[in-house]
Amino acid sequence: MEINKDKLCYFTFPTTYYALLGEKILKRNGMIFKMTPLPRSISSNCGTALRCSPADKDNVQEMLTAAGVIIESCHILEESKGVGLFSLLKR
Amino acid sequence: MAEEKMLYFDNAATTWPKPETVYQAVDKALRSGGSPGRSEHATSLAAERLVFNSRERVSSFLGIEDPASLIFTLNATDSLNMAIKGVLEEGDHVIITPFEHNSVLRPLNSLVRDGKISVTELPLTSAGIVDLEALPSLIRDNTRMVISTHASNVTGQIMPVAEIGTLCKQKGIYFLVDAAQTAGVYPVKIRDLNADLLVFAGHKGLLGPQGVGGLYIDKNVKIKPWREGGTGSRSEEEFQPELLPDYLEAGTMNVPGIAGLEAGVKFIEEVSLEKIRSHEIKLAGMLRQGLKNIPGVRIFGPSSCADGVAVVSFEIDQVDSGNIGFILEEVYGILCRTGLHCAPKAHNCIGTYPRGTIRLSPGYFTTEEDVNYVLKAVKEIAEEAQ
Repeated sequence: MEINKDKLCYFTFPTTYYALLGEKILKRNGMIFKMTPLPRSISSNCGTALRCSPADKDNVQEMLTAAGVIIESCHILEESKGVGLFSLLKR
Repeated sequence: MAEEKMLYFDNAATTWPKPETVYQAVDKALRSGGSPGRSEHATSLAAERLVFNSRERVSSFLGIEDPASLIFTLNATDSLNMAIKGVLEEGDHVIITPFEHNSVLRPLNSLVRDGKISVTELPLTSAGIVDLEALPSLIRDNTRMVISTHASNVTGQIMPVAEIGTLCKQKGIYFLVDAAQTAGVYPVKIRDLNADLLVFAGHKGLLGPQGVGGLYIDKNVKIKPWREGGTGSRSEEEFQPELLPDYLEAGTMNVPGIAGLEAGVKFIEEVSLEKIRSHEIKLAGMLRQGLKNIPGVRIFGPSSCADGVAVVSFEIDQVDSGNIGFILEEVYGILCRTGLHCAPKAHNCIGTYPRGTIRLSPGYFTTEEDVNYVLKAVKEIAEEAQ
């Protein structure tokens, strides 16, 4: 599935350990996603976020939770509302 | 005149050589760069993945269900300090075996000296092993923790840890196992041991490099970090984030060491723990048998090698062990450990305090030919000492 170019879904985690556990689970399930730096519009915290299509949000959340991944938060960001420099990646 | 050859018989201190894949993994990690969990660029994530993969592999190897409960540390001493100083509180009572290493004794002793805790030692049976039956009577209302080494680093004797763990579980007391001498060379599975906390060294039986160790913490254990600082997570928080593994992993991690540790464990999995143990025990058996036949030599430890790890302690007619070690190296090129091996109380148990013993510890890469050479050397030295 093509990632929606207008909106992006970000999952954040309390530690990188859970971000990478999430990566492993989603890879195993053949999901389309990307590990990205945590957008500063979400948090000033440094860390890694997991980005996917908003259409996959519920599915991803379910997979992660079922595997014991602790999710800190989930955000759907619109490019015009602070994705900022990440819009460059999508050109 | 020293011979050209160099035979390494000090694997209980640190295993050497390492599998070729361990050297490669360390080199690769060091060249890859990146600070795990800190920045978010490619090399940082790659470093984090190395740590993640190692955590998963080591956890699986030790039967740890949740890899987040496995903390990477500097070494077994670091892990023990973390467990002892992070869990014990003022007024607590601790029970230990007489075979503990200084890495257990010294942190406890300083807490005792400061008037914070009290410590009781398990007695020995007439056979010189830990008296398990005495344990229930030593437990007090304030007993918070029992600590046992899995195997003595002086005699190689395996301790009855599963039985101690079962009793601790019944009594609601934390059980801390020091698996520094067993992980990688003897079966270590958390569930079988009933351990709430388990400590291991990365550079011994697990065949990794020095500078990495581990601590397993069961979910029910309340622990405070004794090292606090940057974790890469929740940087805006004033205090240490309480989620494992970050909670106890402040500071940039030893990624090359952790990658090397993973390679070491992978090597063990590929060869099989049973094969490694069987090889080492065979060599230890040859050493015991051969030493027994040399007049003037006295051997310590379990009568059967099956009850221990591949550590053989002996003395020659009460000659200073340091002198014997010096001759073994200078004349024969044999490297071993002599003295008290950082476990003074264990020498009280076997009657070799303060002179200590000569300790030979073969490893997976030691050969039968090496053992025969060592036996020949000890025989010559013993004859000279008569």
